[in-house]
Amino acid sequence: MNRLIRLCLLLCVGLSAHASAFDLQQLSEQLAKPSVIHGSFIQEKHLRALPQPLTSKGTFVLAKDHGLLWRLKTPLQQDYRISAKGIARRDPSGWQMVPNKSAGAEQNRLFIAVLQGDSSGLQRDFELQLQGDAQHWQLTLVPRSVLLKQIFTRINIDGGELVQRIELLETQGDSTVLRMQDSSAALPLSDAEQHDFAE
Amino acid sequence: MTLPSERLLPRLFLILLLAVLALAGWQWRHGAPVSADLMELVPGSAPDALELKAEQRMQEPLNREMLVLVGQTDRQKAIALAQHLGERWQASGLFETVQWSLQADLPALREQLLASRLAMLTRADRQQLIEHPAAFIQQRVQSLFDPFASVSLVPSQDDWLGLTGRIQDSRPKPGAVQFDLGSGALIAEADGKSWVLLRARTRGNAFDMKLPIQVAALLKHSREEAAQDDAQLLAASGLLYAAAGQQQATREITWVGGGATFGILLLLLLAFRRWRVLLAFVPVLVGMLFGTVACVALFGHLHVMTLVLGASLIGVAVDYPLHYLSKSWSLKPWHSWPALRITLPGLSLSLATSCIGYLALAWTPFPALTQIAVFSAAGLLGAYLTAVCLLPALLKGTNLRPAQWPLRVCEVLLKVREALLRKVGSRLLLALLVLFCAGGLWHLTSKNDIRQWVGAPPQLLADAQAVARITGYQPTSQFFLVRGADQQQLLERQAALGERLDLLVSQGKLQGYQSLDQVVSLPREQQQLQDSLKQLPGFWQPLLDLGVPAAALQTELTQLQALPIQDIDSALKGPLSEPWRLLWLGAQTDGVAGMVSLRGLNNADLLRAQTDGLPGVKLVDRLGELNKVFAATQVSAAELKLASCVLIVLLLILPFGLRGALRIVALPLLAALCSLASLGWLGQPLTLFSLFGLLLVTAISVDYAILMREQIGGAAVSLLGTLLAALTTWLSFGLLAISSTPAVSNFGLAVSLGLAFSFLLAPWAARPAGKATTPQADHSVTAVDPSPIPPKPSNPTRSLCASD
Repeated sequence: MNRLIRLCLLLCVGLSAHASAFDLQQLSEQLAKPSVIHGSFIQEKHLRALPQPLTSKGTFVLAKDHGLLWRLKTPLQQDYRISAKGIARRDPSGWQMVPNKSAGAEQNRLFIAVLQGDSSGLQRDFELQLQGDAQHWQLTLVPRSVLLKQIFTRINIDGGELVQRIELLETQGDSTVLRMQDSSAALPLSDAEQHDFAE
Repeated sequence: MTLPSERLLPRLFLILLLAVLALAGWQWRHGAPVSADLMELVPGSAPDALELKAEQRMQEPLNREMLVLVGQTDRQKAIALAQHLGERWQASGLFETVQWSLQADLPALREQLLASRLAMLTRADRQQLIEHPAAFIQQRVQSLFDPFASVSLVPSQDDWLGLTGRIQDSRPKPGAVQFDLGSGALIAEADGKSWVLLRARTRGNAFDMKLPIQVAALLKHSREEAAQDDAQLLAASGLLYAAAGQQQATREITWVGGGATFGILLLLLLAFRRWRVLLAFVPVLVGMLFGTVACVALFGHLHVMTLVLGASLIGVAVDYPLHYLSKSWSLKPWHSWPALRITLPGLSLSLATSCIGYLALAWTPFPALTQIAVFSAAGLLGAYLTAVCLLPALLKGTNLRPAQWPLRVCEVLLKVREALLRKVGSRLLLALLVLFCAGGLWHLTSKNDIRQWVGAPPQLLADAQAVARITGYQPTSQFFLVRGADQQQLLERQAALGERLDLLVSQGKLQGYQSLDQVVSLPREQQQLQDSLKQLPGFWQPLLDLGVPAAALQTELTQLQALPIQDIDSALKGPLSEPWRLLWLGAQTDGVAGMVSLRGLNNADLLRAQTDGLPGVKLVDRLGELNKVFAATQVSAAELKLASCVLIVLLLILPFGLRGALRIVALPLLAALCSLASLGWLGQPLTLFSLFGLLLVTAISVDYAILMREQIGGAAVSLLGTLLAALTTWLSFGLLAISSTPAVSNFGLAVSLGLAFSFLLAPWAARPAGKATTPQADHSVTAVDPSPIPPKPSNPTRSLCASD
């Protein structure tokens, strides 16, 4: 699941794909342009055993130079922050770093590396296929390694100027859809947001 | 001139020699019975069979596994290179497995996680589930929405309570190494490079004679290949130390053996100016043969270290022929058999004293020294027999006309000594010597460490340290051995120890540890957890609110309650438990046993303190114990030295009387004291090995004192004999000082110093009058050996004139 978010971020920040065609390169540049993006999200987790998806909603702030703030609002409230330092979770006493876990730490490292402009990782792990034009595009990621194939079958990312929808299909039959709505690159970071990143 | 017995002796000896040669041929029928296992050389202090088994279990991976880091600034290239090397190595046939990526078997992992949901849950998680079920459920709800939790191997619908995720996250991290999901490689980031971990497990172990060298060669080749791709290889393995040790031993045997042989042959030629005199080397060769055969017969094999130290025997063995060859300066004409006849008592005494000295080493608790003692004693016996039975026949008819300049040098030396004594006097010299000794001993420090046995190249050490730093994984030979009446008690004890170790880890005093209770909690606790599950339906409303069907939760609960209680054997079966498997020793005669392994370099005292009040728990620290044995042996070595001296005095009373015997033994002891003092002045530490060296030199240099005491052929000739003997011995032992194994080089240094002082002090063995030219000593010799002695000039000056 987290992989989904990170891939999304990968794309938002910039995809320096070594594509032959215009598309990947352009998409990469297009997504790398805004320095701050504000938006809201809806996450739907479709589990095989559940009749309806687990749905959660919230807002996010992606700042090119700082990282990501992920604010889950419903059904429960929880703030997350991803930065070069790692993942932090907010509790009543402030931001708490989440201890690096074996597999998670590596994903995090990959994400951070990409966040900082080193995006070689994505092409290594996935086959990329891009369709559409700059206003309506769809990118498909198919895992290359045996190990990743045991976890995901495919990842679909749709977007226009910015990323709009990410769908992650797990090998075991579950899937997750993440919709980014009202994304806007118009506003700079607020004081509170700057404070959150700085702390 | 030749007695009938002297005709028979060579033939009898040849028969013996043939028999020994045949025995040697039989011993070597399957190739060289040579071993390089370092642990064979150190005292076997573990009396307990279980402890020994545990130790072997812990040592095994250290001796068979190799950790290699492939480092490159480009992560991709590092992975590609590791893959390439991994495939090449696998194809080399040297390794059982070569692993560069974890292509984990996910279905098997899932299966184990599901089956171990109760048994593998950590203490904290278990307590939360039992005591605070509401908080537990709340955390589970959060984690279902948490976009940043790590990938859970088991899908949510198979584990609504999220127990497998907690187990997955609680597994100890393998140091600083991280898992690369794309390639399956284990990667650490350090020094601006990505380091991909490559693990290889060899077919044989480090003490196989060929394997380590082959592995080292393959590694060297791979290093060169990596360098072409701007990549760097770092490797750590016991195998590489073994390879380095073997290569070094071979090199040193060549240098010490070859150097000593060349030097001695040159000396013989320079002094005696006859090609035939080179036959004096025959006793040396026969000595080596006897030593080897005796060792293989007694121990089943010969250790390379014995060969290195044994090579020094060359210099001692050649002393026997020198004894009578050097008489050619005074016996004119010199004939082999008569020359032997006069020197035979001295020769025999020399053999006896040297053997006493060497065999004293056999009583130390070091198998290495026992082997060297046996090798040397048998070797000396062989050399002696050759010198007495065969060599005179070979040299029969040789007319020796030795160079006269060595004799003149000795005369000058004696004159200088006399002049010095006239001016200063023996007493004052002795006082000065005592001052020198006192000052030196004041500065002397003692140092004992098993690491002195291993002359590890700095490159290997640096590599191993870098691997430990980058991966954060540093295996250590220390571990805890835990026993219990049954599995329940064993796990209880390991858990109790684990609580104490957790504290050390949190204080940064311990890098980490692995214990069996990390993979399986106590059966009692599993039961307790299972019982407490009944209360859960009262708390799982938040999960129902998310839409999780009540039936699904109920089914899961039923499954959990039906899970069989796991014991150690079943818990160790799955792929997740692989790193813990070697910790389980299984059922013993008096219960069960297991280990707790440690990481990092740790303070043994601190670790031992953790076992206080924990019955059945014992720290096994082999290296630490060995170092203690070393220190304790130093004392017993000193006692042995005194005992051997007493024995030598007793032996010498017969020919020389009590006063003479005491004097002859006092000089080597004084020489040993001077050597100790010199070590102090030189700032060299006293080690067990230098002490052994001195123990040996005492025995050898008794020989010089006897030569000077007997004065067969006059003082100058005796001094020359002593000088030649000391030079040849020094040529072989002194060369040991260049060894890169600290233990061997310490030994060589101590013997060299001891020989120098023995030579300097030997003239004082003569009768107190200082009239070195009186032929009194002959009486004592005749008392032992009534064989006819041809008249010989007792005044070397006169004989010199005659030859002129």
